[in-house]
Amino acid sequence: MSVVSLVKVGNYSELRKAIERSFELIGFHFTQNLRKIVVKPNMCCYSDYSTGETTDPRIVAELLDVLRGSIATDLQISVVESDASAMKLKYSSKVLGYEKMCKEKRVPLVNLTDERNEEAKVEVAGHSYTFSLPTTIKDADLFINMPKMKYMLGTEISCAMKNIYGCNPYPKKFEYHQYLDEVIVALNKIMKPDLCLLDGIMVRGKCTRKMDLLMASADPVALDTVAAKIMGINPKRISHIVLAEEEGVGTSNYELVGESLQVFARRFPKKGMADKARLMVGRLALSTLRNLGFKTPPF
Amino acid sequence: MKKINIGLIGLGRIGRIHFHNCMRLKDARLAAVADTSKKARRFAKSHGIKAVYEDYRELLEDPAVDCVVIAVPTFLHSECATIAAENRKHIFLEKPLARNVKEGKEIVSKVQKASVKIMVGYPLRFSIFSKVKNELDQGHLGDVVSAFAVNIWRGPFLSISNAQGNIPLAVPDWWFNPELTGGGALIDLGCHMINLLLWYFGDDIISVKSVLGHRYNMLFEDHAVCFIKFKQGISAIVNVGWYSLERLIKVDVFGTAKTASIVAGPAKASSHLLHTLGIKPLPEFASFYRELDYFVKCIINDQNPIPSAEDALKDLEVISLAYKNEIQRD
Repeated sequence: MSVVSLVKVGNYSELRKAIERSFELIGFHFTQNLRKIVVKPNMCCYSDYSTGETTDPRIVAELLDVLRGSIATDLQISVVESDASAMKLKYSSKVLGYEKMCKEKRVPLVNLTDERNEEAKVEVAGHSYTFSLPTTIKDADLFINMPKMKYMLGTEISCAMKNIYGCNPYPKKFEYHQYLDEVIVALNKIMKPDLCLLDGIMVRGKCTRKMDLLMASADPVALDTVAAKIMGINPKRISHIVLAEEEGVGTSNYELVGESLQVFARRFPKKGMADKARLMVGRLALSTLRNLGFKTPPF
Repeated sequence: MKKINIGLIGLGRIGRIHFHNCMRLKDARLAAVADTSKKARRFAKSHGIKAVYEDYRELLEDPAVDCVVIAVPTFLHSECATIAAENRKHIFLEKPLARNVKEGKEIVSKVQKASVKIMVGYPLRFSIFSKVKNELDQGHLGDVVSAFAVNIWRGPFLSISNAQGNIPLAVPDWWFNPELTGGGALIDLGCHMINLLLWYFGDDIISVKSVLGHRYNMLFEDHAVCFIKFKQGISAIVNVGWYSLERLIKVDVFGTAKTASIVAGPAKASSHLLHTLGIKPLPEFASFYRELDYFVKCIINDQNPIPSAEDALKDLEVISLAYKNEIQRD
């Protein structure tokens, strides 16, 4: 059983306390021999933290202070992300405020797409996959995953495990979308985070909402399971959670500590039956048009 | 009656909308397409376009082409429109006219010299916002005192955002270079709203000032508020930005007799469904169709289309003043 903490953040001035409390609740203690630390926020689009789409750089900044305060001031910390099909880090890091934050905190912002990496082979559900494993992550003493919680077409949710998908240096990630669940699990097998800290202060469900939540766990599968419940989705119906558990990435058996799950489940802007029905009708209409021979939408 | 042969230059985001609309026009046919992207050219060929070029200059030399729809990045507008005019092709040019007033003047001069027709693509002129113009022409508003024009959404940072998630779309590199775009949200979205206001109230302007915002830490402004004082006494505020996931285009015109308010918010789910099913296009796509249809009819009837290049040049002059007269922060 893995421990997952839910901590309510009153306001940004309490952020540091909330982060420290999250780690305390899950019983995560930093050992003094840690030197190389990698932090992976979600920076995978040009919509900033206020929309609930990407990790708030202020939380990352506070985490860096917590790490320096708890371990040592001379840590080698890297904030990492890679280019994606629709996003280039050299631009998104500016738009989302990461370039500024990393400069202020004197930490390098590493684009994994440009980094040295080595080949890593992994097997998931009997299928073999080969990925590039960035040496920055491979050599890290501590790898911290800082995801968001949001809906995503194809995988239902994007959370801790999906955030690791962004550690794949290959930029044309849409090429993997056909096998997304297996690829997410494969990448989590070769780049398993030691610690996950989810920014749930602003969240994006069917709309944006302030939820004032920090979630933490050392187990990405347990964290995603709890996040799915908050988002109103049965985790057993999320293929990459089920597969990750089967593949030994983590467990969906969790022990909740801190606030009650229901408090946040009530607040999360869940998609309703009407949204699901619209998606189904839309997909049906498109496939019907294609079957009728339309190469483009009529308008 | 012979159909007008259209050549489409650029199959990016807006180019694709024009592509589909060209295929639906009754009085014209899409005869040729040019794009530097192999994928885009494959797309055109798969839709039955025979004359597909990599270099737009070759399309402009194609004698079968009567007019061109230019939907290339802004930094290519001047060059592309100039060569089109030299090749005696009528021109439908996407907004903004050019990156700056100097380039805009070059386009106007070349087009006048070649005696070809030119229209600049401002689809809001062919949408529900034309109702305000009718109200003004009818005198329903009395004397107009002030106006408020808003255009806020994602601009180039477009994503497909709905209850199922947010899917970002790729942003071409040139959008991040203000030397290639001519500026940020003010020139990109502001030109739409300024064009509407000048259409409504005339182009005699006393002063223009602006506040430019840089939320995205880039060299260009991602939002702007622009203050315009018209000679006839009307004060207008233009509020534009690239920062919101939700699209809002809005005009309020406050008169002594009445206020005219038009809002184009995000399309309803039912509108998206009707669009997908091919029953009724989304309003924003319908206005793109109407402007192109009007342009083709102007060629057939030998009329000068509006908004003209001169109209769009006035928009650029106002934008240039707004950049010059930025109100500095303390």
